[in-house]
Amino acid sequence: MKSTPYYWPAWILLGLVGLTSLLFGAGTLELRQAFAVLAGQGTEEARFIVLELRLPRLAIGLVTGLALGVAGALLQTLTRNPLAEPGLLGVSAGSAFAVSLAILAGASTATLTTLVSQAGALAGCGLVILATRIQGVGQDPVRLVLAGATLSALLMSLTSLIMLIDQRAADEIRFWITGSIAGKNWEQLTTTLPTLVISGFIVIAVAKPLASLALGERVARGLGHRPGLVQLGVVIAVALLTGSATALAGPLMFVGLVVPFVARALGGADIRKTLWLCLPLGPAMIIAADTLSRLLVAPSEMPLGVITALLGAPVLLVIIRTRRIPTL
Amino acid sequence: MNQFVTVPSTLRLDAPLSACNLTMAHGHHTVLSELDIALPAGRVTAIVGPNGCGKSTLLNGLARIHKPRHGSVVLNGADIQTLPARQVAQKLALLPQDNSAPEGLTVTDLIRFGRHPHQGWLSQWSDDDQRAVEQALAAADIEALADRALDTLSGGQRQRAWVAMSIAQETPLLLLDEPTSALDLGHQVEVFELIRTLAGRGKTIAMVVHDLPSACRYADNVVAMCGGEIIGAGAPADVITTELIETLYGITCDLMQDPASGSPVLLNIRRMQR
Amino acid sequence: MSTTPARTYWHLQAQQRQFSLLIEKRALIVNLLLAALLVFCSLASLAFGTLTIPLSGLMQTLLGNGSGMHDFVVTELRWPRLLAGGLTGAALALAGCLMQTLARNRLATPGIIGIDNAATAFAVASVVGTGISIAPPAMALTGAAIATALAFGLSGATGTRGYRFIIAGLAIGAISGAITQVMLSSVALDDANAAYPWTVGSLNARTDGSVQALAAGLALGYPLALALKRALVTLQLPEPVTISLGIHPGRVRLAGLVLSILLTGLAVAVAGPIGLVALLAPEMARTLSRPGTVPLTAAALTGAILMVISDLAGRLILAPLEIPVGIVTALAGSPYLLWILLRKSSDINQ
Repeated sequence: MKSTPYYWPAWILLGLVGLTSLLFGAGTLELRQAFAVLAGQGTEEARFIVLELRLPRLAIGLVTGLALGVAGALLQTLTRNPLAEPGLLGVSAGSAFAVSLAILAGASTATLTTLVSQAGALAGCGLVILATRIQGVGQDPVRLVLAGATLSALLMSLTSLIMLIDQRAADEIRFWITGSIAGKNWEQLTTTLPTLVISGFIVIAVAKPLASLALGERVARGLGHRPGLVQLGVVIAVALLTGSATALAGPLMFVGLVVPFVARALGGADIRKTLWLCLPLGPAMIIAADTLSRLLVAPSEMPLGVITALLGAPVLLVIIRTRRIPTL
Repeated sequence: MNQFVTVPSTLRLDAPLSACNLTMAHGHHTVLSELDIALPAGRVTAIVGPNGCGKSTLLNGLARIHKPRHGSVVLNGADIQTLPARQVAQKLALLPQDNSAPEGLTVTDLIRFGRHPHQGWLSQWSDDDQRAVEQALAAADIEALADRALDTLSGGQRQRAWVAMSIAQETPLLLLDEPTSALDLGHQVEVFELIRTLAGRGKTIAMVVHDLPSACRYADNVVAMCGGEIIGAGAPADVITTELIETLYGITCDLMQDPASGSPVLLNIRRMQR
Repeated sequence: MSTTPARTYWHLQAQQRQFSLLIEKRALIVNLLLAALLVFCSLASLAFGTLTIPLSGLMQTLLGNGSGMHDFVVTELRWPRLLAGGLTGAALALAGCLMQTLARNRLATPGIIGIDNAATAFAVASVVGTGISIAPPAMALTGAAIATALAFGLSGATGTRGYRFIIAGLAIGAISGAITQVMLSSVALDDANAAYPWTVGSLNARTDGSVQALAAGLALGYPLALALKRALVTLQLPEPVTISLGIHPGRVRLAGLVLSILLTGLAVAVAGPIGLVALLAPEMARTLSRPGTVPLTAAALTGAILMVISDLAGRLILAPLEIPVGIVTALAGSPYLLWILLRKSSDINQ
């Protein structure tokens, strides 16, 4: 199923993007020194910048991109809607709001953040699935997205309210809410690993039945799959993935839209090909956006969410502009 | 295809609305090419033809909804594109197909829209407007429905309300696009008889009709279209021939005369044997 | 069955019959009631806050012989704010009502199709010292015009009816929001903090000049909108019918769009993107009015009421903290918008 000519080039792209993110940054580190660090030498300062500041960022970008790309592809196949995306549908906003509530309640430990964030994402996913069950909404891809965007706006307003009430919470939430993978450490990354492994297994288990579910519930049942179970598995996987990503990087819009869109354009509509291509493409997008966010307004930094929005909104326009939105 | 060309040039002299060399296109696709037509005054003209032959496009061209690529539509001797919109609206009313109105709008509200071309900033509701609305309600025989919301009416009642709006516009010319589509037989007759009544009062009417027998029954003048061209025009008894029906629809049939009206009746319709 | 419109209308006619007018009874009554409600809310807004002024004290002040403290709070602090809020609400609601009608789409309001955000982005650009020194109202107008052109231009193939047009607006809004963030994160922290309230919608960041510009815009735009109303109403019918009634739909749409851009831009220059007032107010006004009308006046009054109430609520709920009015309206409005979107047989086209 990796048999698309773009599969290995996509990994090479990710490699290049990753290398770039280690070499370039806001600091005054010279390129030569950064190379030296990669070669196992370099000054103390250079080693600190590259290994302690940039490398964790790279790793977190890798995990976040992986999670969001795969979650987007799964959610799109499940709702049969090419516009479905954790960010747009309010899943990310759900987990962001849950985290804000937890911070307001006094929590700030990294572990709890991940769990709370995943719970919020699960609630968001549940709302999305409920909405698709409403007659007319499930059939109209665009309406579902609008409802999701409205839900996001509502939750964002509530989050703003929390920030108004509690100054301490506000300081913790503010930077995280616009999306950023700066200043995170290895510890936070490791807390998400168990759930990532679990969702990885779920994805492997549901990929094949999901592909036949794309032909309709009855066909899938006829082929011996159990659609209810598959859907449940997908919802859990999406919630775990989105929740982890949001806990690490804040609510990022459009990543789950752009990555599967590009993957489908390169590899065709089969969900398994899409998923394989999302693996390198998701991290590539986040890491590239993160590198850009460091370079564009150096020496200060731009929120990562801004870059993904700037990259993603035009893709949304392109999808909308095509006369017929193909159902997946 | 022009073996049936018969637009009598004498008709055009007193025709209130005519088109000359009319070419209409959607993008690169030419729908009508170099077409001449004249609507005889005080008569009902039915435009018939197979799906996609350009009937509705012709009607929209005549009603200046779309601009022609070439040629011109002439209203009382003047090019319709050069006349002020309001002046045209006092002379010509169009009722398109599949009309929708805002939810909850009453019949009277709808009919009042028809008075728009006769009103101005200062004169927003004159006695003339009032009289015209009442007459339109009476002519369409829907006085009892005046205060009902459109969405509560039956299809036939609703269609008569829309016709009433066009009546209230008090134009000498009335163009109707498939006024009876989606209506059952009883409602079709209702609407067609209303149209005849209006013609009896001197209105010049053109309508696109899908159903050939109805066109023969209710029109004084039939214009047959095929592939964006007019292939026959004149009194139904003269125009409707078995050859024409073959050309239009690819079917063969026998023709008889309706003993009551003298209009042609189609019998024994079957697919053409090749 | 009588068919005279006299039961639902008052018919005014001059002797010479050159002048005649129909006044819809229901519209008149609704507008009078809304105006009364607006006055009531305004009085409440003047009276309540961190310092509560009793009604008698307020009356004394309004009549010109109140106490010094009351005079100061009312005339210097609350009245300018009330004025800014009321004008902003009226302008946004009017813009929303116009745009809904000409796009024939209930959701086509400035906030939802991204015009607010674009206007904000441009206005912020002139505030945060990016080297652009044009006044915020002019910048906001430019932003509003560009976003509108984009939204309507991009919808060319599929038209403004339906949800796709709205998604185009969503994308425009997202890009504009991102650009605002870029500017805020690239300038000095003080500048960014100064511009922040604006980006969520607040009556605190206003300048006197922008309020005056808005007042002038409304004084010009409202009569023009009323003059356009007769033609706007016919836009609710199918387009061929509209043309057949002697209207140029294109010209009417353009005029309506220009007016709503003007009103939105000027309102955003005062208060930033105020979520959903432009959607809620016309919706409420339509519920109150007869079907098939374009309730411009009722929408403007409702918009003003919504803003005044929201601002008052924002000042009182978490006092002494103040919730920006944009957050209040977003919180109140999003559930309603969700309800529109998720109803079973949702028809957003009018």
